[in-house]
Amino acid sequence: MTTTGRSTPILVLDGEITPVRVLARDVWRSRDLLAVLARKEFFVRYRRASFGLVWAIGIPLVQALVLAVVLRHFVKFQTPASYPVFVFSGVSAWNFFSTGISTATSSIVDNRDISTKIYFPRSVFPSMTVLSGLYGLALTAVLLVILNAAYGTPPGIDTLILIPAIALNLVLTLTAGLVLAALQVYFRDVKFLVQAGLIAWFYLTPVFYPLHSVGSISAWLRANPVTGVVELFRLATVGADPGWIVAVWWSLAWSAALFVVATVLYRRFDRSFADLL
Amino acid sequence: MNQPAIQVLGAGKRYVKYDDTPMLVSRIARLRSHTSRSSFWAVRDATFDVARGEVLGIVGSNGSGKSTLLRMLAGVTAPTEGRVSVMGRIAPLIAVGVGFHPELTGRENVYVNGTVLGLTRRQIDDRFDEMVEFAELKSFIDTPVKFYSSGMFVRLGFAVSVVSDPDVLIVDEVLSVGDIAFQLKCIDRMAEIQKSGATIVVVSHNMGAIRNLCSRTVVLHNGVLRHDGNTEEAISLYHELLSEDRELDEQPGSPTPLAGERAIDLRAHIEKFELVDHLGQPTRHVDAEKEVTFLIDARLIAPADGPIVFFSVTNSSGFRVYGDSTGWRNSTSYRGGDVLHAAIRLKMRLAPGTYSCDVLIVTSDGVPMTPRVPSILVYAAGRNTVTGVADLQAAIEVERHSPIRGEISDAPRHETTRVFP
Repeated sequence: MTTTGRSTPILVLDGEITPVRVLARDVWRSRDLLAVLARKEFFVRYRRASFGLVWAIGIPLVQALVLAVVLRHFVKFQTPASYPVFVFSGVSAWNFFSTGISTATSSIVDNRDISTKIYFPRSVFPSMTVLSGLYGLALTAVLLVILNAAYGTPPGIDTLILIPAIALNLVLTLTAGLVLAALQVYFRDVKFLVQAGLIAWFYLTPVFYPLHSVGSISAWLRANPVTGVVELFRLATVGADPGWIVAVWWSLAWSAALFVVATVLYRRFDRSFADLL
Repeated sequence: MNQPAIQVLGAGKRYVKYDDTPMLVSRIARLRSHTSRSSFWAVRDATFDVARGEVLGIVGSNGSGKSTLLRMLAGVTAPTEGRVSVMGRIAPLIAVGVGFHPELTGRENVYVNGTVLGLTRRQIDDRFDEMVEFAELKSFIDTPVKFYSSGMFVRLGFAVSVVSDPDVLIVDEVLSVGDIAFQLKCIDRMAEIQKSGATIVVVSHNMGAIRNLCSRTVVLHNGVLRHDGNTEEAISLYHELLSEDRELDEQPGSPTPLAGERAIDLRAHIEKFELVDHLGQPTRHVDAEKEVTFLIDARLIAPADGPIVFFSVTNSSGFRVYGDSTGWRNSTSYRGGDVLHAAIRLKMRLAPGTYSCDVLIVTSDGVPMTPRVPSILVYAAGRNTVTGVADLQAAIEVERHSPIRGEISDAPRHETTRVFP
């Protein structure tokens, strides 16, 4: 026996179902691995580009600018002078969510080289792609604060709301990503459904329009899990819709439901995903 | 302490085979009520233990369930029934360089891959220099691995797995990568790992590697454990099973000749084609120094004058190693119903490896007179130093002469490395 001082890990497999307790223990043990892989994902994504990290914030910035310019000239919303900040806050939240779930969806399947050869909890794959977006989101949030200051609102105590805003975005994207990644292993068309769904979803999320401007359907839009996240980003910067609390509750409820579904899926399939790859 | 490192107890794995990929859209739209699927057992009721420090070989033909068993040992997939338990950190040496990212440098990849293998950052720091040295990549370690040659890529992957000091090392058909020098280095390192108390599981189609490395070997066939124990016997059984599979494949063959094959003049059927060792026991594991005998019985269905018996040995790359026949010496006339009995005695002085042995009986005009019989596959356990095809039994003598000039030295010392009769 090796005298490393650490307890020898023992693997016992006696059925395809992983008990939740074992699953939680394995996930907890692989936190270092998750951090290393998430960092790798992030650097790999921007390494080849000549401006590197600039792209991580450049893309949402360009997206927000285009939206702000186009919409201001073609559609007239009743928006304050800080409309570009308004759009940018929505785009920051939305981009993290949409890239997070679309990369997470195919993450287990794309990493089949690793996942058919060595075991660590399969939830690490979607988690690492979602977490890798966190670096970009943090940079974008800093830019958001600067932009907001440039439009006349210096950072204050409200700015701290960005922390729970990012946390909520992370939890929501993570739970959704976990569920979609597991479904993608079994149903190979989930990836396309997600792509198509995101296009419609973007317009159903108050990214470039204020919630109150859509009238009676705004109650429905508050049930959209991403609305709560977007409203929190607004609350920290340009001010949120009066109904933001309801939207945040919806986001939390969605996250909790997705978490339960994810637990059920990974409990059943964590040790048999490899069979379907 | 005496608990085995690996314990497999009645383990079985059932796979579901889908004829088409399930799609969510069609499932929801109920375009097809059921996706057609069937299930099969890739491995069934496997039971064995591997002690700490033991090197276990797993052999079996393609589709025998080796990969599934290995996946269960690596914890990638759980058994449908039974139980698999493994003590300690497992490092699979399967398709090395798994998880290497082409954009990252060698150094970064070592850290990522090491973490994937379950090492902490500290542990990688401690082993980093050794890994780089083992991979012989000192001057390239900060180059993105996309610029590596395939050999460099594999070496680095190997180095990380092998130097990670795993408790259980799983080696799957990877000894065929890298050049000979690196392969030998890996084998040396594996021996070291084993000495330090780690357990090694080797899967290979290369019987030479299995014979050199494994003290014990299990044979899997159609998902069932057919043998557990002595490696030589395992290799023999493996070849027997290979021949059996071939026979099954060739069973539906009709007497009509295949395209490109010469027409046959059907006069006899080969009823027996066997290989026995010097004690008369059937075998598929042939010692180069011991005489073995191929026994043939052919029953004639039509008269034939002076039939000729051909015998040939072919190596695994399809090269005819040896061929011989009775020539025209045999002028005996046979009538229908007679039995031709032939015994071919020989010593298979060949380099270690798998060989295919065939027999053919032709008429005195040179036309085959029996349907083809399945080859006998044998493992020739030759001397380990021999490479190539034939063992020409060289006596290699090496002498040392004193380089000092002008002195009458003592009688030069002879150091004879090897002398053969």
